[in-house]
Amino acid sequence: MAKQRDQQRLELLQGTLDMLILRTLQWGPQHGHGIGQAIRSQSDELLKVETGSLSPAMHRLEKRGWLKSEWGVSEANQKAKYYQLTAAGKAQLSRERDRWSQLVGAIGRIMNPAGTE
Amino acid sequence: MRPEQRDLDDEIRGHLALSIQERIERGADPEAARLAALREFGYVPAARESMRAVWYSRWFDMAQALVQDLRVGMRSLWRAKGLAATVVVTLALGIGANAAIFSVVRTVLLSPLVNRDEARLIYIRQSAPGLGTGNLTFSVPEIADFKSRTTSISAFGDFSTVDFTMVGFGEPRIVKAGVVSGSFFEVMGLRPVLGRLLDTRDDGLNAAGAAVLTNRFWINSFNRDPSVIGKTLKLGARTATVVGVLEPSVPYPADTEIIANVVTSPHHLGATMISGRTHRMTELFGRLAPGVTLAEGRAELVAVHAAMVSEHPDSYSATAGMQLTATPLRDQITSPARTILLLLLAAAGVVFIIACSNVANLILARSVRREGELAVRAALGASRGALRRTLLAESLVLCGAGAVLGVLLARPFVAVVASFAARFSVRALDVTLDTSVLWVGAGLAMAAAVLLAYVPRLPAQTPTGPGLVSAGVRLTPGTNRRLRVFATMQIALSFVLLAGAGMLVATLLARQTASTGYDTRRVLALDVPAPLGDYSAKAIGFYQEILRRVAELPGVDGVAVGSFVPWRDAGSFGPGVSFAVEGLVPADGEEEPRARLRIVSPGFFDVVGVPLLAGRAFTADDRRGREAVVIVSHSVAQRMFPNGEALNRTMWWTDPYFGKAVVPRRIVGVVADVDDENVVRAPALTVYHPFQQMGVAGRVFVRTAGNPYALVAPVRRVVRELAPNQPVERPATLEDVRARVLTPERLNAFVISGFAGVALLIAMVGVAGVLAFGVSARTREFGVRLAIGSTPRSLLMSVLSEGMAIVTIGIAAGIAGGYACAGIAASYVAGIELPGVVPVLAAAAVLGSAAILASLMPAARASRVDVLQALRSE
Repeated sequence: MAKQRDQQRLELLQGTLDMLILRTLQWGPQHGHGIGQAIRSQSDELLKVETGSLSPAMHRLEKRGWLKSEWGVSEANQKAKYYQLTAAGKAQLSRERDRWSQLVGAIGRIMNPAGTE
Repeated sequence: MRPEQRDLDDEIRGHLALSIQERIERGADPEAARLAALREFGYVPAARESMRAVWYSRWFDMAQALVQDLRVGMRSLWRAKGLAATVVVTLALGIGANAAIFSVVRTVLLSPLVNRDEARLIYIRQSAPGLGTGNLTFSVPEIADFKSRTTSISAFGDFSTVDFTMVGFGEPRIVKAGVVSGSFFEVMGLRPVLGRLLDTRDDGLNAAGAAVLTNRFWINSFNRDPSVIGKTLKLGARTATVVGVLEPSVPYPADTEIIANVVTSPHHLGATMISGRTHRMTELFGRLAPGVTLAEGRAELVAVHAAMVSEHPDSYSATAGMQLTATPLRDQITSPARTILLLLLAAAGVVFIIACSNVANLILARSVRREGELAVRAALGASRGALRRTLLAESLVLCGAGAVLGVLLARPFVAVVASFAARFSVRALDVTLDTSVLWVGAGLAMAAAVLLAYVPRLPAQTPTGPGLVSAGVRLTPGTNRRLRVFATMQIALSFVLLAGAGMLVATLLARQTASTGYDTRRVLALDVPAPLGDYSAKAIGFYQEILRRVAELPGVDGVAVGSFVPWRDAGSFGPGVSFAVEGLVPADGEEEPRARLRIVSPGFFDVVGVPLLAGRAFTADDRRGREAVVIVSHSVAQRMFPNGEALNRTMWWTDPYFGKAVVPRRIVGVVADVDDENVVRAPALTVYHPFQQMGVAGRVFVRTAGNPYALVAPVRRVVRELAPNQPVERPATLEDVRARVLTPERLNAFVISGFAGVALLIAMVGVAGVLAFGVSARTREFGVRLAIGSTPRSLLMSVLSEGMAIVTIGIAAGIAGGYACAGIAASYVAGIELPGVVPVLAAAAVLGSAAILASLMPAARASRVDVLQALRSE
């Protein structure tokens, strides 16, 4: 299956999936499939997360107390598990966002040193 | 909130459904949508596993697998109910019995006493092996000598037992009381729980009567009522005030209800008691002085005693071979129970070994039978670890159930064993279950479970063996030998137990059926005690009136008074009294003969059924003021007058107790020998006095043709009419008295027989199991033999003879091993008896016939093998 993957697609950076999930859930409760779709559409189809790795990630976040879940019915009348950010999850999101900006800034400074511009 | 497996599945399903639906809404073909959704999702089982892994640790999964295996194990054992039940019960009996007996051993033999600094507390004993007396006790002058001459003993405590007629607490009755001097409780290191104990204030002739209640008496009779302090008791002629209650402690040397000071006992104040060196009735305790070892204290006591013996040759006869020993009190208290408890421990251990070997055998046979099944499982892809885990689960279920049942059994077992051991040691009354032993037992069972799981061989990783090819059982010579060795060992051990039990039963039967010379069934004996030492005419008149009135009761064939209830009063008058007879001078250095002195009323011999051999019986005319007369036993007549007639010759007592004056008494009759000290009869020198000449006797004997116990109430009424405060106690036929005396032996025989029975049962199961296994493994062979013309009968005989071979070898090993063990044990424990030929033969016969029975079932199955089925089975 891996061979059929779209060539254009970008590989996710290690450790950023959690942040993306938390970010997506900032708009409100969503089920796993919805989260995957949101990440794909908001990245202009560049990031495509396999549901097989998305689901374990969400369980991991739930176990750490950043998400909570409850069973609900989707807009298409399907039974689905809805995830929602907890207060701890929101705090974590802002921490990760800070770290991410630092990381992007640092990498940016290395890749484009001030003197070369 | 850990999600269930089902939740995870639902979640995945929900995901896919949403994804598919979305695609269909966008216009995709349903089948294509499904495939695309699956492709997008990735590998479903891997996703599910990694979702699970977030919530469940590796250990949880393993535990879950084990639970699953346990469930399978239980189901497969359920199909082998007989085997499972045998293993569980066998293990439970082994664990329960051992825990119980070890608990008792620990409490009775190993735990310290409550007495302060008990290691320094010693019990001093004077014995006269030459007279066959193990415990002579001490006289007051002897104790005074020890007190003044020793330095290694810081203090002595003395204790003598006296029966008081107690009035004041309910019915008038006889109480067993200790009479002690003021130093007793200090030496024993005991404390009161209420009030105070006796001390030096209570010594001397002018002290007030004072008594301490023992703890058990206080609890049982007064329900822990603190207001007993200060109450006044009437003890015979004297009174005593209750001053305190003793803490719970081992009652030693006697289990009494009260302990009183010396002034309560008139006897203790008399000249005989105070100055009579041979008037011994006091037990002696000592406390080692600080820094003195037991050996030093003992050496000094022995030296003082030796000096005493040489200073008073008249009080210590040479042939008596007086000896003095000193032992720590705890050893002294536990010694009667030691042998029997160690014996029980050994028996329980043997049963446990038999049980374990049997369990091993059954499991071994079962697992060999399962090798085919295991091969199939391995071929289907079960790893070696998984197979081992299956086996482990099964043996855990078995041994775990056994351990649980054993733990449950242990408590009632402890109660039984403790009440049994209480006959030998009062300490057994306080036994509680020792839980640490239970844990050890349960732990051992679990260890056994793990071990047993490794008995069966696992099929090789590439299954090519016969297991897959045929469903039958292949019995390798090695396995077969192992099974047989175990079975033989079980037989040998059960044989040892059976022979031992047989010996005890044979002894018991011999004692129970031995003729005593008494008419035991028709005679009722009652204690109607007179105040100690009251020889007055008034007291004699009291008993004569009892005799007259009881004789008039309906159903009474005869009534008499005596001084001694056979066997029940054994030992209460010491080793006998020295006497001399007319015309017989003891040779130089020869000990004066000693005879038992008994006091009886006219008619006594008729009532108890002892025949008169010569002369006449006592009559009402043999009273004070008339000629002094006696009747002697056959042994006296024969030994003292070898050449002639004993009748009309005279005898007189030479014991200092009777004073210096010689009172010759004419022998007017000779009666048959009876032995009222021992239930197994030995020739006894006995001299009977008429009670009107010698004084009050205190025991009433009633003969009846009807039910003797129906006379108890009328006799008591008659006595109470004469004296309202007179105790009438312990009514029992002589037959029941004998039975009571034999109770400890009966219990020993019963308990050891119980163990032997359990061992026999287990060993039979073992033999039957081994043979049955052999038969089922050889079904095909039997089929072939039947097909080529063997008769079923010859097959039956061949299996039977196989069983007999196991039993014969087992019995031979049992005899050899048993005698060897007894030889080794005899060098450590004194008094080991070896069973005679009869018990050994009986044990062999029982074991042999039981083995035939056990072999019959498998043998019958061998002879009924269906030829076609057997040949087709592979």
